[in-house]
Amino acid sequence: MDLLANLATGFGAAVTPLNLGFCLFGCLIGTLIGVLPGIGPIATIAMLLPVTFGLSPLGALIMLAGIYYGAQYGGSTTAILVNLPGESSSVVTCIDGYQMARRGRAGAALAVAAVGSFVAGCVGTVVIAAFAPVLAAFAVKFRSPEYFALMLFGLVAAVILAHGSVLKAVGMVVLGLLVGLAGTESQSATARFTFGVPELYDGVDFVPLAMGLFGLAEIMSNLDRGDDKRAVASGISSLWPDREEIRRATPAILRGTVLGCLLGILPGGGAVLASFAAYTLEKKVSRFSKQFGQGAVEGVAAPEAANNAGAQTSFIPLLTLGIPSNPVMALMMGAMLIQGIAPGTAIISERPELFWGMVASMWIGNLMLIIINLPLIGIWVRLLRVPYRLLFPCIVVLCCVGAYSVNASTFLILMMAGFALLGYLFAKLGCEGAPFLLGFVLGPLMEENFRRSMVLSFGDPMIFLQRPISLCILLASLALIVLIVIPQLRTRRDQAFQE
Amino acid sequence: MLRVKSPQDFWAGVLFVLFGCAALWIGRDYALGSLTRMGPGYLPTVLSWALLAIGVLLMARALALNGPAIEPSRIAPQLFILAAIVAFALAIERFGLAPAVMLVTVTAAFASREMRWREAVALGLGLAALCVVLFVNLLGQPFRVFAF
Repeated sequence: MDLLANLATGFGAAVTPLNLGFCLFGCLIGTLIGVLPGIGPIATIAMLLPVTFGLSPLGALIMLAGIYYGAQYGGSTTAILVNLPGESSSVVTCIDGYQMARRGRAGAALAVAAVGSFVAGCVGTVVIAAFAPVLAAFAVKFRSPEYFALMLFGLVAAVILAHGSVLKAVGMVVLGLLVGLAGTESQSATARFTFGVPELYDGVDFVPLAMGLFGLAEIMSNLDRGDDKRAVASGISSLWPDREEIRRATPAILRGTVLGCLLGILPGGGAVLASFAAYTLEKKVSRFSKQFGQGAVEGVAAPEAANNAGAQTSFIPLLTLGIPSNPVMALMMGAMLIQGIAPGTAIISERPELFWGMVASMWIGNLMLIIINLPLIGIWVRLLRVPYRLLFPCIVVLCCVGAYSVNASTFLILMMAGFALLGYLFAKLGCEGAPFLLGFVLGPLMEENFRRSMVLSFGDPMIFLQRPISLCILLASLALIVLIVIPQLRTRRDQAFQE
Repeated sequence: MLRVKSPQDFWAGVLFVLFGCAALWIGRDYALGSLTRMGPGYLPTVLSWALLAIGVLLMARALALNGPAIEPSRIAPQLFILAAIVAFALAIERFGLAPAVMLVTVTAAFASREMRWREAVALGLGLAALCVVLFVNLLGQPFRVFAF
């Protein structure tokens, strides 16, 4: 009954006109950027971080969370109608969604995607409500060695789940850690990597870094490929799936939901990983596996359910342990810090209205989203016709004004330009931004927790192995590394033999 | 004769080596301490060496194994985007928010091949109005709309 009382608190906090407004605004923005290819939730949340300075903590978090899961709804629209992923988490939806649209089943595909997302969103919300307090209660026992081990695990996972070369991903994490260490060191007050610039004494500011690396660099990469012209597929006739489609989509939605919830909780997980895994799973278990790629309804239902479930449950590590599991969560953590909230085990017990209010808002937001996305689909389709040449200057403007509004410093704008160039170079060289951002966020925290562990053990590094929980986490990280490195070595040897 | 077989990896390695060296050089005076009593320089130094090693490894591997080529760049769009940002930084305090937004929009619009003057100016006016309403009126940021 505790749960009900808590949820009542949450709904009490979330159902105020102002907070409902933030929720709606977040969901609308989320759908918008989800529909538009070339701009994702990371860049958007970074751009809106300065806007949240003036909001209440709950309002800010409700809005930003709405953007993340709202983008999962919007992304499917573009995937199905234009065969372009509106979001990286709807890449796999393109495959079967677009084929369904070509067969005249666009409406059904959109409906299945939206309903799947809604079911997954509801389940995801319940999972957070039920699971997060338990985990937080357990995590109260955690001390700095456990936190250090957990962060290490998170970084290992981020490296392994990155696309492409593991070695490059490790390099990006290390570089991120280094950049994260810039600023005044806590114990000796040594200014590290600050070049005597006062703006750097508190560390590299998160907002210009994220906007440069994700928002602006993405524009530069897109312009490299030339402005794309998109052809919107056939009109949408009926939004109703037929009986056969419902029968096949239902179990797929449920499987996708479960898988998404699980993968969202994992460090390094989230919407993108969940959607890929769900598609692969569906292809394996479906009786119609031959139809995949030609418009199988399961291929739309499962990944769309999974990405929304994953988007929501990825809040769990942040809200219970204070550890962001993906770049979006790193930004949410930034938003919390801006509001003076330290993410961690204490949130649920000390700020119940914040935690439960956010959980309640997620359910409300999902309800809003299904309305925003199904009956109003025509509006979003029309938005797809907005050419990119009008879109990207808007993003550049918002990034510039946003960076300046952090603390009215032109240095931060120039720093953002620097990170934009760096992000563009990374993209050219096939280096991923996600591990870099996680390293950047976790760097100072890891240093701090390592130091505290050494104080705790009077300088004995064995402390990490002597504490059972930390030992388990470290072993899990090791297992992950072994799991990934062995097949890599094998393929590399094969490749070498072929030459 | 050595040949780079994986240009992306090779240049990523070069980038890492450069960053590693720079970090080592900048951080050369930070007190090191030891693993159990880390000074401010301990972690930066360890990470810099790690980055350097990863970079060298990447470069070496790029000589042995084939990998994707770097796709050619169109220099102009990148320059216009960067120029737009720098222009904003220079203009915001000198001319105020509205002219600065106008300047960014038009400069950035040049990055597209399909840039049209009239459209860019109209967009700039719209965005300037939007930014003034959003940041100054709604969020109460202390920007000056016009500063001359």
